[in-house]
Amino acid sequence: MIDIKHIAKLSRLCVTEQEEEKFAKEMENIVAMIQDLPQLDDTGALMDPNQPMILREDTAQQHFKRDALLQNAPQTKAGCVVVPKVVD
Amino acid sequence: MYQYTAAELSSMLKKKECSAVEVTESVLGRIHAVDDKVGAFITVTEELALQKAKQVDEKRVAGEALHDLAGIPIAVKDNICTKGVGTTCASKMLENFVPPYSATVIEKLERCDYVPVGKVNMDEFAMGSSTETSYFKKTRNPNDLDRVPGGSSGGSAACVSAGEVPLSLGSDTGGSIRLPASYCGVVGLKPTYSSVSRYGLVAFASSLDQIGPLGRSVADVAMLYSAICGRDNHDATSAVREYPDFAASLQADLKGKVIGLPKEYFGHGVSDKVKDAIMKMAHDLEQQGAVLKEVTLPSTDYALNAYYIISSAEASSNLARFDGVKYGFRAKDYNGLVDLYEKTRSEGFGDEVKRRIMLGTFVLSSGYYDAYYKRAKLLQQKITAEFHNAFEACDVLLTPTAPDTAFKIGENIGDPLKMYATDICTVTVNIAGLPALSVPCGYDGALPIGCQLIGAKFSEQNLLNTAFAYEQSVGGFNRIPQIR
Repeated sequence: MIDIKHIAKLSRLCVTEQEEEKFAKEMENIVAMIQDLPQLDDTGALMDPNQPMILREDTAQQHFKRDALLQNAPQTKAGCVVVPKVVD
Repeated sequence: MYQYTAAELSSMLKKKECSAVEVTESVLGRIHAVDDKVGAFITVTEELALQKAKQVDEKRVAGEALHDLAGIPIAVKDNICTKGVGTTCASKMLENFVPPYSATVIEKLERCDYVPVGKVNMDEFAMGSSTETSYFKKTRNPNDLDRVPGGSSGGSAACVSAGEVPLSLGSDTGGSIRLPASYCGVVGLKPTYSSVSRYGLVAFASSLDQIGPLGRSVADVAMLYSAICGRDNHDATSAVREYPDFAASLQADLKGKVIGLPKEYFGHGVSDKVKDAIMKMAHDLEQQGAVLKEVTLPSTDYALNAYYIISSAEASSNLARFDGVKYGFRAKDYNGLVDLYEKTRSEGFGDEVKRRIMLGTFVLSSGYYDAYYKRAKLLQQKITAEFHNAFEACDVLLTPTAPDTAFKIGENIGDPLKMYATDICTVTVNIAGLPALSVPCGYDGALPIGCQLIGAKFSEQNLLNTAFAYEQSVGGFNRIPQIR
């Protein structure tokens, strides 16, 4: 049994009782499908040695203006994003 | 004028037989005439398009050297950031999001002087195979308006098929360019992972996502691919290498080319009509000098499972950023920070996105990681190795793009497993990071059938050449259906 309430909590989602039943059934079916995987040897690296990542120089660059970024924020005040109180 | 391919329009523009404004007016007229029925566009940027077209015409009159794409209208999937133009991912979560920057592919196209006509519909956050999970609207298949266009880049394929634009950009994580290209009867390329920058593409599964072109001819797709590929410092996974001019290098010579037919892709679940159409295309290529060879890719049967584990795991992490704080939707009534997160995400995401986030969270959660995610990643290596072996013996693999033609709107939306199964022929390519092209290879009544050509990494030219040879022999793919 998949504990949908727990998974939803970890996912920062809330589910109603009705949804819980629906999602639980769907998830059971999906998990039953995806769990059919062969047991494979796990020696060997999971990185592709032919595709090393190349990182750019760690230098500061001016990309955005504060105003441009804040335009998409749901609530702002004095050039900052407003959030609920997080410490007492 | 809207019925011409991009290459034809480009040549007409160069010879001054028409202006970019005339081309743009023609496609905008077509959008006004048919998009009420097709529903491909979320945003039409009419003023911007006409303004850019006018600038291109002025540059041409001034004698400036222009790119082949100058003055060509292109539609862009709504998960690719366009500065100043809404980018919604077809989600309530980003309904009012206007990016402060453009994706690298968009900046590249701007340097080519393309004409931005608008943003097109998709499954919410690119999760789906039918474009039905869009928060805004359903997109219909131009070949049969009762059917889906495929997904997730359904808008990108439908607008090209319906003649609303000659070219579009889509994104492909598990088949999202190729499946709609197949269902709508157009050409769609999923490039090699790392050949096109993902900077500015809203991330779904970062190790699988890739932006690619859709068009009504192989040359058009080659032209748009050439314009968007290349190393980008903003995407650390992008490959450092040089690319040819794919359109200029197209050639139709198939002599001695070995075409592999992997038997696992012709098995249970693939319709007879589809199998027949693929084999007919294979024999056409054989008549042009290619050699057919049966090959085997034994792990194919497990690929869908590995795909849904890996992609959902990455999605659950990537979509954690949508929390109602810095941008996007924020729920109205909440009590504290955690409640803000939970309410925002529960109200802002649709059911399919929630399912994938929860599935990803589940497979990564304590106690399950080894059984799911780790095994899927090991299978990914095995699938990659099997493809590698196949390409020792073959130049190109030929498979169906989808097991069947486009299904009816509403037919699969209530059954996630049936919906997921439509990706069975395409997910292996993303898992192995390979390039693949879907081309139309026949019809079942009014419904197009797509054939998938798969190649080794960075073998796009070879795929495009093979498709080009077939396109020449069937007299072209540019057929715009009657919209009714």
